Amino acid sequence: MTHPVRVPARARSALLAPLAAVTFAFAPHALAQDAKAMLDRAAGAARTLSYSGTIVYQRGAEVETARIVHINDAGDELEKLVNLDGPAREVIRNKGEVRCYYPDAKLVRVEPRTFRNAFPSLSPKQLESLGKYYTIKKGGTGRVAGLEAQSWQFVPRDGLRYGHEFWTDPASGMLLKARTINEGGEIVEQFAFSDVTLGIKADRDAARPTWAAMPQGWMEKQTKIGGGVIDDTGWNVTRMPPGFARIMEGRRRVRDNDGGLAQIVLSDGLVAVSVFIEARGGMQRNTGRARVGGINTYSVRQDDYMITALGEAPAEAVRLIATSVTRR
Amino acid sequence: MNEEISRLMDGELEDDAAFERVVGGMKQSSAMATWVCYHAIGDSLRGECTVSTRVSRRLAVALANEPTVLAPQRRVDRPATWAWAAAATAAAVAVVGWTAVSLTDQGVSAVALAREAASVRPETLRGQVIPADYLYAHREFSPATPIQGISPLQRAVATDAPAR
Repeated sequence: MTHPVRVPARARSALLAPLAAVTFAFAPHALAQDAKAMLDRAAGAARTLSYSGTIVYQRGAEVETARIVHINDAGDELEKLVNLDGPAREVIRNKGEVRCYYPDAKLVRVEPRTFRNAFPSLSPKQLESLGKYYTIKKGGTGRVAGLEAQSWQFVPRDGLRYGHEFWTDPASGMLLKARTINEGGEIVEQFAFSDVTLGIKADRDAARPTWAAMPQGWMEKQTKIGGGVIDDTGWNVTRMPPGFARIMEGRRRVRDNDGGLAQIVLSDGLVAVSVFIEARGGMQRNTGRARVGGINTYSVRQDDYMITALGEAPAEAVRLIATSVTRR
Repeated sequence: MNEEISRLMDGELEDDAAFERVVGGMKQSSAMATWVCYHAIGDSLRGECTVSTRVSRRLAVALANEPTVLAPQRRVDRPATWAWAAAATAAAVAVVGWTAVSLTDQGVSAVALAREAASVRPETLRGQVIPADYLYAHREFSPATPIQGISPLQRAVATDAPAR
């Protein structure tokens, strides 16, 4: 009688992971499709699952922790995010509308639904560029928030995009940890669950705000940039990193600026850079570059307009884009 | 009243009568006054112009003459960087961060800035200011929003069911 050799699950994946990586290295397009499926699944899981947990966000030496509850009750999405350090802040998302409560300031900031239905999906061309401009590696497994997570790496092939690492829960597809890595191999930002419970009861009360929708004596502020229409803006981006393509173009309303705002969104399939063209009017914005975490911006003046490129790309990429905007 | 304070913060309230009315009214609401005062301080620290310099200066002076209003709660337990973590974090932590940054324009981060004003030099802040409203507008469209996993909330917001 023969006994099958029992290999512990961890050892099995350790054996298989390098093999998988080698196999996929020769099939970049297939791997890009796998990666795309992973990303789609993560986005779907975050939307459809009910879960609660603690998120740790890190940017440089700074760390911020927040408690999250996400409820999907028969298709209605409700979410409550409460920060655990810094000034009190509570964000409630209810079917698309976001209300952010700042009890110290007695302020509620409201982000109404705007363009939501316009969220673009990846074109086949962009799927191709995923595999062309990033070396995609399916890595090993590792524990995140107590779960055995599958890791993925997107290593950029040029200096015009950041590297990314993702860890997902194989069972649900839920993203548990994500890192953005710069040209020097440093982590520019990281988000991770430190604990998470997936598949909790869809209890709407768990995602209710601590206060009334508009507490008495508080002030309400609407976001400055409103909705808009998908439209030809009359502007053109003449230079962008290879693999980027235009995925959206439209005009939006802006409080205090009758000239409105043109927005063009470019993407390489994984990240995006928005180009904003706004009539300067009385507005004063700084020109030049700025960065927060994995987001870089670059602003230039052009005649009566301020042009700003902003996105999850290195400084050089957004500068390249911002300085190439012309009227069609 | 609240609307006028709001307009003041947006730099729309330039005429003297309205200014006096708002400041007068704020003296009855110490929390609001403190907040707006901090906003003004934060603005000048950052060299920003959301509230015009003239208004900021006048406001600071007016509020400086109102001692009860001006006395902020001391919060010494905060690291000096949290304000920027909160404001600048935007990029990262989801709506939490994004709205916090959005508030840079309106002053919540200025509250924090003011608290730490003694230890923060303006030049260290300048250049880090990125337009909060643009961040928000960008978030809606970036494929990184749902997939990059900067935060489940951020991801979820942008992958919301189509508005009907």
